[in-house]
Amino acid sequence: MGNKVIIIGAGPAGLSAAITLAEKNIGVVVIDEYLYEGGRLLGQLYEETPNKWWNGIAESERLLARAKELNVEFSLQTSVSDLEKIDQDWVLHTNKGVFHTKQLLLATGAAESPFPIPGWTLPGVMSVGAAQVMTNVHRVKPGKRGVIIGVNVLSSAIAMELQIADVQVAAITLPAANLLTINSSNPLEVMNSLLYVSHMAPSPLIKIGSKFMKNEILKKLGIRFYPKDGVKMWGIPIMLRKAVIEIVGKDQVEGVVLATVNIDGSIVPGSEKRIDVDFVCIAGGLYPLAELASLAGCPFHYIEQLGGFVPLHNEQMETNLTGLHVAGNITGIEGAKVALAQGKVAALTIASKLGASVTQIDIQQAIENVETTRANAHIQFHPEVLVGRQKMKEIWAQTLSHTLS
Amino acid sequence: MQNKTMMVCRCEEVSFDELVKTASEYNCSARELKLRTRAGMGYCGGRTCRTMVDQIAHIYQPRSNNDISLKYQAPIRPVRFADLGEVKS
Repeated sequence: MGNKVIIIGAGPAGLSAAITLAEKNIGVVVIDEYLYEGGRLLGQLYEETPNKWWNGIAESERLLARAKELNVEFSLQTSVSDLEKIDQDWVLHTNKGVFHTKQLLLATGAAESPFPIPGWTLPGVMSVGAAQVMTNVHRVKPGKRGVIIGVNVLSSAIAMELQIADVQVAAITLPAANLLTINSSNPLEVMNSLLYVSHMAPSPLIKIGSKFMKNEILKKLGIRFYPKDGVKMWGIPIMLRKAVIEIVGKDQVEGVVLATVNIDGSIVPGSEKRIDVDFVCIAGGLYPLAELASLAGCPFHYIEQLGGFVPLHNEQMETNLTGLHVAGNITGIEGAKVALAQGKVAALTIASKLGASVTQIDIQQAIENVETTRANAHIQFHPEVLVGRQKMKEIWAQTLSHTLS
Repeated sequence: MQNKTMMVCRCEEVSFDELVKTASEYNCSARELKLRTRAGMGYCGGRTCRTMVDQIAHIYQPRSNNDISLKYQAPIRPVRFADLGEVKS
């Protein structure tokens, strides 16, 4: 077992890395916590351009078939609870025993950050990603009619998926302002962030927004006169001038209290209105899931554009620790296609260390492919992701020059 | 105020208000905020409230960009007591 590369995470980055390695005749074991391979690909279903759909389940089936054809081994429902370096080996402690490897790739993806709303601990409140998994993976409806709190790229994509599954989304709306929802509760800020996703699926909201993009005064006017009942996207009202101030119910979610908000996010007194729903999704955004890199001892840097704390790494997807690599959302929040491309880079880097026939040109081309994929990405989670990537490059260069001097 | 009983850390029953009060009083690090309130120290290992505790602390104390403010400790997933120290007879 010690001679095989171990990949933690069977999502797009992990699967693509596994395939690339196996194509170079390198043995691979992929570990994942979940019941199935595919990671968050399994939840994704959206229209990229008119009539062209991204079907994550089909993508993961395709990748999995290829991986199996190449004899990639999988260990599912396997949780890594600890990791340590003993001599030259990375040692993984899991609920299915201890694994050893010299070359480890962390492709653990991202996690969702919640924000609190009064009543958010009631049964029936879930993260928007949980609703996506229930609906698209387990084919269980999270409820009959719900509200999504938090207006962003992820929540609007999932709202549409819920609608396709015949789950009614009464509204996508803002959270009430508190210290933890500062940016996500301010109508103007939220509208600003949405303007950057204008290349997303056709939506009147975005079209209205784009017109105001260049002018601050027009932007303010736009949000001031933004319809109180929202602008409909795929039939779902996107309410930038309403906020959920409370989630109500006795033993479970029965409704939410919506109020009209001023353009600074403050509540208009007396505007509170209750609507009935049986589930609520909180969409607070994603952050890189870096627990294992932290246990391994990687240095971290907080880079807002990448979604939070990111382990130090270079474009070849190496960390500064021997035999430890990263790929996918652990390096910054981006779409599945970027993760796929990064997985390939990491795999080529590892393969070259193991003496496979990989040239520096191959690796360089794979890195360029990451950049092209990023430039053409359909969904951008942070408008300045490139700035974030550049920061990490600079930090890596600085750290390296310190080590050498 | 509505935020009064808004829970942030369910495991240790630490409310939003308690966290904000402590953070504003001590202007402390996320780690100190955690230790003072026990938020994030329950059986889930802070998997739900970590980002919120971190965020509240950094409203009152600017972030250092080069360190994970709330350290991860093994085990990062629930493990059976038997896995930790079972004595096989």
